[in-house]
Amino acid sequence: MTENGEILKVNDLHAGFFTRRGVVKAVNGINFTLMRGECLCLVGESGCGKTVTALSVLRLIESPPGRITGGQVLYKGLDLVNCPIGRLRQIRGKEIGMVFQDAQSAFNPVFTVGNQITEQIGLQLKLGRHDAYQKALTMLTEMGIPAGERVMESYPHQLSGGMKQRAMIAMGLSCDPPVLIADEPTTAIDVTIKAQILQLLTELKQTRQMSMLFITHDLGVVSEIGDRAVIVYGGRNVETGTVADIIDDPKHPYTVGLLSCLPDLTGSSGRLKSIPGTTPDPINLPHGCTFHPRCPHAMPICKKEVPQPRQLSADRIVSCHLYGENDAG
Amino acid sequence: MTDRLKKLALAIVRPFYANRRLIGYYWVRTRRNKLAVAGLTYILFLICLALIGPLFTLDPTDVDFEQKNMPPVGFNNPISYYDAATDTLTTRELSGTWKHPLGTDGKGRDMLSMLVSGARISLMVGLIATGIAVFIGTLIGVLSAYLGGWVDNVLMRFTDIMMTFPFFLLLVLIVFIFGPSLGLIVLVIGITGWTGTARLVRSEALSLRTREFVTAAKASGARDSRVIFRHLIPNVISLIIVIATLAIPGVILAEASLSFIGLGDPAVTSWGIILESGQQSLDTAWWVAVEPGFLLFLTVLAFNFLGDGLRDAFDPKSTV
Repeated sequence: MTENGEILKVNDLHAGFFTRRGVVKAVNGINFTLMRGECLCLVGESGCGKTVTALSVLRLIESPPGRITGGQVLYKGLDLVNCPIGRLRQIRGKEIGMVFQDAQSAFNPVFTVGNQITEQIGLQLKLGRHDAYQKALTMLTEMGIPAGERVMESYPHQLSGGMKQRAMIAMGLSCDPPVLIADEPTTAIDVTIKAQILQLLTELKQTRQMSMLFITHDLGVVSEIGDRAVIVYGGRNVETGTVADIIDDPKHPYTVGLLSCLPDLTGSSGRLKSIPGTTPDPINLPHGCTFHPRCPHAMPICKKEVPQPRQLSADRIVSCHLYGENDAG
Repeated sequence: MTDRLKKLALAIVRPFYANRRLIGYYWVRTRRNKLAVAGLTYILFLICLALIGPLFTLDPTDVDFEQKNMPPVGFNNPISYYDAATDTLTTRELSGTWKHPLGTDGKGRDMLSMLVSGARISLMVGLIATGIAVFIGTLIGVLSAYLGGWVDNVLMRFTDIMMTFPFFLLLVLIVFIFGPSLGLIVLVIGITGWTGTARLVRSEALSLRTREFVTAAKASGARDSRVIFRHLIPNVISLIIVIATLAIPGVILAEASLSFIGLGDPAVTSWGIILESGQQSLDTAWWVAVEPGFLLFLTVLAFNFLGDGLRDAFDPKSTV
């Protein structure tokens, strides 16, 4: 199974923040599997727990107050939630790389970009200063940065947004990790650069045979880059499937809602649709299905029972009472 | 020996060279503040004086009663003495000579040489005690902010206790018990004076800790120690420089006040000790007290000006 398939498997992961107001339940039993060489997108609104999930994979949530309260993260069979911190540190960066949303704040402002990439390479690959520098330079070139030396010598604030994001990706990939977690890497940059970055990531995925966990709220980006997608709501996955299936035939009412929010460029006019209501307060999550207060198809059972995930086809899982045993057929 | 010196010099010079652009940038910003530049110039002059001055001046411990209470050059000092020939008290004017340009004290010691060697002591006290205080304060502040939770609580409550402790009383007590020694005084000032630094550094580090580059560093497999020393502390360095610059005059004054009330180390001639000896002869030789007092005043002012200038230069929000 693990030979050709799963590289990262998240099982019933729970994570919360223990604040004075109560427990902020950010992640409430999320499940997904990242296959070798694929790009899996975690999609959802702001505050649905995508980023906390991504950070929890490498146990990076602020602690205190944050804590992973249950579940497993299996990387090649090793449970990252319970493994010793020393082992985890070897995996961070080297086995699972990470790219952050805001490249401006993800670089330390007082060191040059080159200094930071070189440091990470030296740290994880145990290379000497000169070799690490050369490797960093090669990485920047691979990211399509023409004047590598100049960028290496620059402080983060001296680079443009797109350049910084490329450098950020170079840092995430500097140790050639088999898995890359990208947390909204295109959110903070403008559309033209965004397209370039997405293309770059797709190319890198192919040339490096890399698996990618891509976190975004943007279904346009998902259709561009994703192989499969996990729709997240209230810290749970509500729907999982291939990107084509999900976009052509969304099953969960939330997915339907998300897709109908996209502006249509083909000409039809009218107000842009939105899903009524807001994301639930993670301290007081609604009982039953967390989406029921906003769901157009809510039934009495939705307020009482959490819908169990149901396998609709080979790689299509939906958690919704609309697709109960009787209707599944 | 020379090899080690070379290494030391290199270790000091290299960071300046490696960050020459940044330092150039801060220098340009600091330079616009004329008072800060004046302060810096004065401090550099004082440091040079303290380092090489004693090579050129007379021995500050040389007692010569023939030359006692000589006024500085350009001043006259009437002194009364008993003339055995006429059996009367006669008054004679003493004029300052270039042999003792700043005059002599009641024991005929050269004021200039005493002040120069006093500069050495006072600067040493200021730099070493501040160094100790800032080192402890930074460590406690950063650890407190980074580790958070109960560690933060314990460390900050400890800081509160230290803050409320009347440290001058402690100093007096320790000097009373162990006897006045300069090393002890410096040590006590250092290990009691870190509380303000700890608080300021903590608040700065608290906001740094949540920045994405800290998460990014951890995501690349960095240990906590690496995050602290490589990512947090370099980001508070500018704050530390300002704190240290503003703390030095306080320490110099603390040592001077201690000497002034007679608890200084009598084996050294710090400005405070000279000041103290001068206050007893204010009516006969005013310059003995006024000269070290004036130097103290200038030095404290210079450090404060420089500290203010640096704070403005390091503050990204200021438009200086």
